[in-house]
Amino acid sequence: MESSQLFTFATVAYLAAMVAYISYLAFRSEGIGKAASFITYAGLALQTVALAMRWIESYQMGIGRVPLSNLYESLVFFTWSTVLIYIIVEWKYKTRAFGAFVLPVAFLSLAFINFAGISTDISPLVPALKSNWLFYHVLISFLGYAAFGVAFAVSMIFLLIDMEDRGPVRNAGFGLAAIAVLAPIGYAMASAGERMKMVFWMGLGVLILVWFLYLVMRGAQNKPQVYLFWAFCVTLAVGLMVAMGIDIVYLNLTHSLQPGDSMKQHLFESSFLSKSVFNVLVSWALIVGLFWLVWAKGMALKKLLAQYVPKQEIMDDVTYRMIAIGWPLLTGGIITGAVWANSAWGTYWSWDPKETWSLITWFVYAIYLHARYVRGWKGTQMAVISAVGFLAVIFTYLGVNLVLSGLHSYGGMN
Amino acid sequence: MENQNQQGVVEIVSEKIWKFFSSVKLAVVLLIILAVVSVIGTVIQQNQAPEDYLREYSPATVQLFETLGFFDLYHTWWFVLILLLFTANLTICTLERFPTAWKVMRAPLKPLEEAGYKAAPFKQEISIKGGAEKAEAAVLKALQGKRYSSLVAKEQGATHLASQKGAYSRMGVYITHVSILMIFIGALIGSFFGFKGFLNLPENQVTSVVYLRNEPLWDKIMAGFGIGNSSVIYDPQVGVPSMPLGFYLRCDDFEVDYYQNAGRPTGMPSEYWSKLSVFDQQQQKVLDKRIRVNDPLTFHGITFYQSSYGTIPNAVGKIILNVRLKQSQGPGETVVVDPGSSVYVKSIDRTIRVTGFAPFGMRDQRTGMVQFYQSQNEELINPTVDLEILRGKTPVFRTQVMKVDSAEPMMPENYIISFVDYWGARYTGLQVTKDPGVWIVYTGFILLCVGPVIAFFGSHRKVWVRIQEGKGQAAVLVVGSSNRNRLAFEREFNSIAEEIAR
Repeated sequence: MESSQLFTFATVAYLAAMVAYISYLAFRSEGIGKAASFITYAGLALQTVALAMRWIESYQMGIGRVPLSNLYESLVFFTWSTVLIYIIVEWKYKTRAFGAFVLPVAFLSLAFINFAGISTDISPLVPALKSNWLFYHVLISFLGYAAFGVAFAVSMIFLLIDMEDRGPVRNAGFGLAAIAVLAPIGYAMASAGERMKMVFWMGLGVLILVWFLYLVMRGAQNKPQVYLFWAFCVTLAVGLMVAMGIDIVYLNLTHSLQPGDSMKQHLFESSFLSKSVFNVLVSWALIVGLFWLVWAKGMALKKLLAQYVPKQEIMDDVTYRMIAIGWPLLTGGIITGAVWANSAWGTYWSWDPKETWSLITWFVYAIYLHARYVRGWKGTQMAVISAVGFLAVIFTYLGVNLVLSGLHSYGGMN
Repeated sequence: MENQNQQGVVEIVSEKIWKFFSSVKLAVVLLIILAVVSVIGTVIQQNQAPEDYLREYSPATVQLFETLGFFDLYHTWWFVLILLLFTANLTICTLERFPTAWKVMRAPLKPLEEAGYKAAPFKQEISIKGGAEKAEAAVLKALQGKRYSSLVAKEQGATHLASQKGAYSRMGVYITHVSILMIFIGALIGSFFGFKGFLNLPENQVTSVVYLRNEPLWDKIMAGFGIGNSSVIYDPQVGVPSMPLGFYLRCDDFEVDYYQNAGRPTGMPSEYWSKLSVFDQQQQKVLDKRIRVNDPLTFHGITFYQSSYGTIPNAVGKIILNVRLKQSQGPGETVVVDPGSSVYVKSIDRTIRVTGFAPFGMRDQRTGMVQFYQSQNEELINPTVDLEILRGKTPVFRTQVMKVDSAEPMMPENYIISFVDYWGARYTGLQVTKDPGVWIVYTGFILLCVGPVIAFFGSHRKVWVRIQEGKGQAAVLVVGSSNRNRLAFEREFNSIAEEIAR
């Protein structure tokens, strides 16, 4: 048996666990819940064995290295640590309600590997990566990411449960109008060249950030507006993931990627930024539909969830706990990286984009912790900050490698 | 009078400044500003050549970014200013709150007043059969089981217990803050009294200076004021400032290992190293070390990191061969020869003539013939020679020898010739740094790992108990409070109460 087969079994197990956790919510059967937990344990065990085998295989190939050093391995490890931390939370807080949200993340990350055609080869390491620090640096960083991931999932549920009502339909109209304005601007800027494309995505990021700051500064009191923000973020996250998936599949099918081309030059070219107006219209229409679906059905989901999830006070505590674990781990990840860089190059900090983004993430969670301890904030505002923190984590992990350039070359798609 | 008034103004102003910097709101605002501003430097590539920027942006944009310092954002005066404000904020916030936290941590245990029992966030009343003494023992046992230290006081027919644990956790946040300040201080010392430089040192060459990327700020400032001499040398012919090492550094040898595919080097380096020797002022050898990536050499506070390598254009190196008799197990005879010339090998009574050389040789997979290739930048991926063997002046045979070979080279006589090294045509690329502040930074790193863990996972928990004698049973009132992790404390509190009731 090879590690790749075991990884496939683990992926199937996570798919089954995801279905079981969702059925558990739908049918309210304790038996299904237990089965879901059991399948998750089995999946984690399989994945653990697979990781160990991949490690051994690398030695058999004469390369001999930790299975933590390219995009494929990091995605697998991210999934592994997220599931591990989820299991701990499930056991400690005695609730299975979050499984229906965490397991899909695990399954989708693994499925993404297959869709995206990310290379699963065990490739040799460049000399700079040959260091014991590689293991500690990646291990600590990814455990931190996983803790933040669980915090994010719980905060998103918290925000949903927090909603009394979704507000008048014109709120959704505002979101729809925003998308309608964004669509032609995005299309026009993308046609104007690589630079403008970048400016568009950055501009979008800044707009979301400003919106978020506005909400937090107002104490996140206006619940329908928070709900709108929530729906917008969910739409964006799901929509962009799906669009990237389509891009990657399309580029692989048509082989239009030239050697030396990177995926980032072609991001969204088969969807939002396509040269075909038809594709663009369909993509944006789908996003509008998705947004409406999320906005209109979110409250129904809330009603369903409300019967299962623990008290809001406990969810707030889980989020805080996860961040209190994640932040020291992120700190450790940054520090091990710095010490390693110093032993390899004689510089512990060089403001490389990945370093800088990890610091930005660190700042965001530092704000979370200070707002909680010193200003005594709780609940909705904290959940919103936690959500933004995780967006920064995602950008640190994937965005930097996909969009920017720097020393952490492992993350390239090709 | 006037003097007093002026002092008053100074006091008021300094108090206002102190108040401004001691606010956590300012800290959050500064963190947001730092986060947002840092993003700019990740989107615009830093420290590129001017022509690279002109290719990406319009001249007007380049001009604007240049003025704003966006091309070297993290070293602009305004970014440093934000960092300084942040440092001041952190320092003053810490100074403002530390004395109180210290007092609370060191405060002796005290029995609780009546009002305190009423106001405590967690409360349980338990009645225990048996007397007050039995109850007291049960309470002490339960508290000791959870590692609380207790104080017992008896007054007016009631027994009061005060107990606490985790007082030290109040220091976690200050350890964290101080560690960040230490990292800043260490970084400042590094840039004032340290330097970053580089060296491209050919095999068999010695240097007494290093070329600088960042010169020590202190030297620069002192020389700018005309006080003291900077140790930095500006030689217009070199074009780069340099700094004397105070000793001599020689590159004895440089080697690269390549990943192999079916016994053939692929051109992807798996490891590279330099053998470096250090000589003192009297030219006496002090030490040598084989350095590789991730394993540098340090001497007199200056560290040499293996960072790159290359072939010197048009340089001709020495070919080093080893000749060993087939039946012997000994080391054989090592000979050195220039490309194109010959050498007499005594142990086999033959002359070896080098008739061809290539930096990259490979055996053809089907024919088994050795092919000679040119490599990019003349990189010595697998140096290969074409040799003619002569007895006296009579040619005996010809053969090709590669440094790494997937098969046995053709050797018809009773000896084997192997290729040891092509030496003297390569240079090793070294990063050179001196950073006297790094130990302060590392101490800061360690504290920064410890501080948050203490702060988040410890909590200062207090439990007070009042035991009153009743009719055949004791009434026990247990109250408690914790400065953080309330939910965890609630669980512990309930289990203590349960333990007492048992």
